[in-house]
Amino acid sequence: MTNHRPQSGLNDKEREGRRISSKRPDRRKFLKAAGGALAAGAFGAVPIRGWAADPVNIGALYPTTGSMAQIGVGCVAAAKLAADMINEAGGIKSLGGAKLNLIISDVQSDTTVTRTETDRLITSNKLSAIHGCFASALTLIASEVCERAKVPIITGSSSDQLNKGRTYTFTPFARASQFAKAQLQMSKLVSERPKVAVIFENTAFGTSTSNGLKELAPGEGVEIVMFEPYSAGFTDASPLINKVKASGANALFSVSYLNDLILIVRTVKQVGLNIAINGGSGGFVIPDFYKNVGQLAEGLQGVAHWNHDMDDNAQKVNAEYKKRTGDFLFEYAGGLVAQTYMIADALERAGSADPQKVREALSTLDVSSGFAAMAPGGKVKFGPDGKNVYGRPLGVQWQNGDLASVFPKEDARAPLIKS
Amino acid sequence: MLETIVQAVINGLLIGGIYALVSIGVTLIFGVVKIVNFAQGEFVMIGMYISFYLATQFGIDPILSLFVSMPVLFVIGVLVQHFLIRRVLGPNDMPQIFLTFALSLLLLNLSLMLFTANYRTVHTSYSDEALHLGGLYIPVAKLIAFVVAMALSGALWVFLHTTDLGKAMRAAAQNRDVATLMGINPNRVFAVAFGAALALAGAAGSLLMPFYSAYPFVGQVFVLMAFVAVVLGTLGNVIGALVASLMMGVAESLGIQFVGADSGLIVVFAMLLLTLAFKPNGLGGGRVR
Repeated sequence: MTNHRPQSGLNDKEREGRRISSKRPDRRKFLKAAGGALAAGAFGAVPIRGWAADPVNIGALYPTTGSMAQIGVGCVAAAKLAADMINEAGGIKSLGGAKLNLIISDVQSDTTVTRTETDRLITSNKLSAIHGCFASALTLIASEVCERAKVPIITGSSSDQLNKGRTYTFTPFARASQFAKAQLQMSKLVSERPKVAVIFENTAFGTSTSNGLKELAPGEGVEIVMFEPYSAGFTDASPLINKVKASGANALFSVSYLNDLILIVRTVKQVGLNIAINGGSGGFVIPDFYKNVGQLAEGLQGVAHWNHDMDDNAQKVNAEYKKRTGDFLFEYAGGLVAQTYMIADALERAGSADPQKVREALSTLDVSSGFAAMAPGGKVKFGPDGKNVYGRPLGVQWQNGDLASVFPKEDARAPLIKS
Repeated sequence: MLETIVQAVINGLLIGGIYALVSIGVTLIFGVVKIVNFAQGEFVMIGMYISFYLATQFGIDPILSLFVSMPVLFVIGVLVQHFLIRRVLGPNDMPQIFLTFALSLLLLNLSLMLFTANYRTVHTSYSDEALHLGGLYIPVAKLIAFVVAMALSGALWVFLHTTDLGKAMRAAAQNRDVATLMGINPNRVFAVAFGAALALAGAAGSLLMPFYSAYPFVGQVFVLMAFVAVVLGTLGNVIGALVASLMMGVAESLGIQFVGADSGLIVVFAMLLLTLAFKPNGLGGGRVR
């Protein structure tokens, strides 16, 4: 049951990074950094806001350059929004109204940089807590560094690995293994007897994710009628979709990167195949997906650990984020607003900026209202493994250019549209 | 079953048309200028971005933007030939290989900087449409791409065989020294050949845009197939490259359909190996050109 989805919700982007051979992006990143596009890249963490009083330093590790930059930039915008909201509401009262001072560090979509940047962030600043890094591959490394330095890190990354043998790592949202299960259960909304075709790119990510689906399918009463790897970055999806058509499947799970997924979705339309497509999470549940795919995205299903229509608070934050960036607040960024409030709640109760005390307070966090409880189910309480005992994923669907929560029943905010 | 096979062949032919545009460019440059252009795929990528920006900024249909991408790439081709390739033409192959390879890396990284690694798509009214004939379907965007690709290939053939400049190109390809003695200016001929080859790459880019995403590494997907087709179809042979490209498209499609969706390239490369083993000069036999 563990580690079915080894990477975070946003693994698509990670793979993009992997696909780009090693040296080229580094050089580009160097040029970007040297050009001053992001001073943080070259000189380490730079406080974005200085306060005269005693502020509480919160580290934020996100890839704002490199292949994952698209999502990383959105995360930083959300992190700033969350800190502003808390500060404008009076900061941390038990610390005399101390403001949160967000210290942002660019981990450049790169595991090596993540290690050095996390290290530098911790040693050169007095941090109370850290949040990051969105991609599980990066978060796993940042979490290791945090464990050693005894600074708590809170993350929306979904790898089950993050809950093993760690004491300073907190994961308030659904785990990778839960996502696979949710996807299978969603297929039962489409048909009484779902016949699922699983197509996946022949990479480590594609194989492990699809194997997770395959293992759980019998237990969920879902029949897998086709299980087919394909070469990532293919030029033509037609033969593959021909096979899906021949398999008689009524639901299609595509474990794919954006580019392949677009081809697949278009080809399904061209073939005239009436099939419910579930694209998983990651790059599939961000505004850019819709911008790329347009109308064709309508009705596509996916899974997410957070969605902006969950509750009133989420909608409030979403409206504010939309005002600032023009896009809706996507899964990972929304989750990290909640995470910032969880840190604030811990600081409030700890009455201290000491990372050790913040960790203690986080481990006893138990919220069911307010922005800190913005999670599917509306409750957050960490178990001994740092996992939110109430954590569960959402099933989402693209409806009118927006992502609507459609699953499970208690979290559904819109009915599932059966194409 | 028969329907499935026919559909797979149709799919293969349609994508083979795009492979053909790329491989004809490679083979033309090889045949005339005698160098292997490793950067050909990057020029396809440039063609795609030209079409992408024309479509998103000015609302020009990607297929029509062919009339921009082809001339632009022709000019780029002439400039590349004049300022770069001309300097390394000589008995030693190494500088030529390094030059075009470096050009490929340069263009890749420039495009990463300018366009970022994001995928860009253009959505046209016909992007998702298909003609349905019985149980078969033919995607409209690919059909247009195929027809235009075949027309351009035909036009190139007519150009090579009926015009003085085309004949001069073939003459220079046959024997550079003798052609020079006959009063043909090789530099001019090479520049036109390079320009024409890049114009074809630009056309491939524009034709791809309605149904494929543009990203900095997109050229590498197609240039791999192009090199196989060029070798299969005999180096320097335009018709050979065209036929081989279509064959490869079909082989890939049948492979995916009947062997496995991750075996498309395996089938293609098995074809290449068998050809090299039994017909080392490619399917075109000994007749180069």
